[in-house]
Amino acid sequence: MSWRAQGLRTWLLQRLSAVYMLLFAVSFGIYLLQHRPIDYTWWSDLFTRPAVVVASLLFFAALLYHAWVGVRDIMVDYIHDTVIRFTLWILVTLFLIAMGSWVSLILLSMVEI
Amino acid sequence: MRFQIQRYNPETDKTPYLKEYELTDIPIGMMLRDALLQIKAQDESFTFRHSCGEGVCGSDAMNINGTNGLACLTPVSKLAEPIVVRSVPGMPIIRDLVVDMSQFYHHYRAIKPYLIVHDPMPEVELRQSPEDRDKLDGLYECILCGCCTTACPSFWWNPDKFRGPAALLQAYRFLADSRDQATNERLQDLDGPYRMFRCHTIMNCVTVCPKGLNPTAAIHKIKTLMLKEMI
Repeated sequence: MSWRAQGLRTWLLQRLSAVYMLLFAVSFGIYLLQHRPIDYTWWSDLFTRPAVVVASLLFFAALLYHAWVGVRDIMVDYIHDTVIRFTLWILVTLFLIAMGSWVSLILLSMVEI
Repeated sequence: MRFQIQRYNPETDKTPYLKEYELTDIPIGMMLRDALLQIKAQDESFTFRHSCGEGVCGSDAMNINGTNGLACLTPVSKLAEPIVVRSVPGMPIIRDLVVDMSQFYHHYRAIKPYLIVHDPMPEVELRQSPEDRDKLDGLYECILCGCCTTACPSFWWNPDKFRGPAALLQAYRFLADSRDQATNERLQDLDGPYRMFRCHTIMNCVTVCPKGLNPTAAIHKIKTLMLKEMI
């Protein structure tokens, strides 16, 4: 088995992305609960810190990758026409790339380096 | 006791249909297989596969009140009436409850269900320690009845490409065997998006297995083996 083993690699990365999302969501949630009440200045200050922005960017990367593999799995299960599946997959990929770019733009515009 | 049995004759019927039967003489402890034999005595045109009658041969897998199982191990007293008996889902029907199992056996053959040894064969049998033998428990007992594979939605959607729980359980039976020397080849063969990774741990296979085996756990162990091999 090598890293080029496609089925294993996709499955493993999807699992790892889930672990990261879980860790991030839980720890971020606890952090937010500890800093109640949260107001706009506190929230926008939080996202000026590079560590928070990088962790959030990683979270969205994990989320989009996880969704990408998940949607592909559903399409492989249910859509057996190659042309339709390929077209839909391209559309999903473009949509996820657009979402990723948008969230990156927002997060990077806030960070103070 | 009321029964609704799936009937299909390819020469006269376009699609399978349910036919009502009624049995009055139900002895205590009667299994569904015995009931079906009585129904066959009523109506000789009805047919189904069966042989040993005690859950060893795996011939009489069928869909009983919506769940796959072996007729010979299912007491009729535990079933709600009317007892609806169909052929196992996802397989081409040949007649009544008899299905074409070719696809199932194709996948079983494809995982090479025999020991592969690259070393020269010893003059005596291949030895195995009791501890190594214990690793095959829960794997070797499979009777290939097909209850699990035909209950698996992943198999329904991709029956030509996904190996199915029965074949994957057997794949792990040989991967787990200390005497087998083809670990890497076996794992390589199961990679790719279809053959094993179509499994989404739905676990219908575990629910229906009449022998109480756990194909989902076996598939998980194959993935763990792949990871170990990769690292």
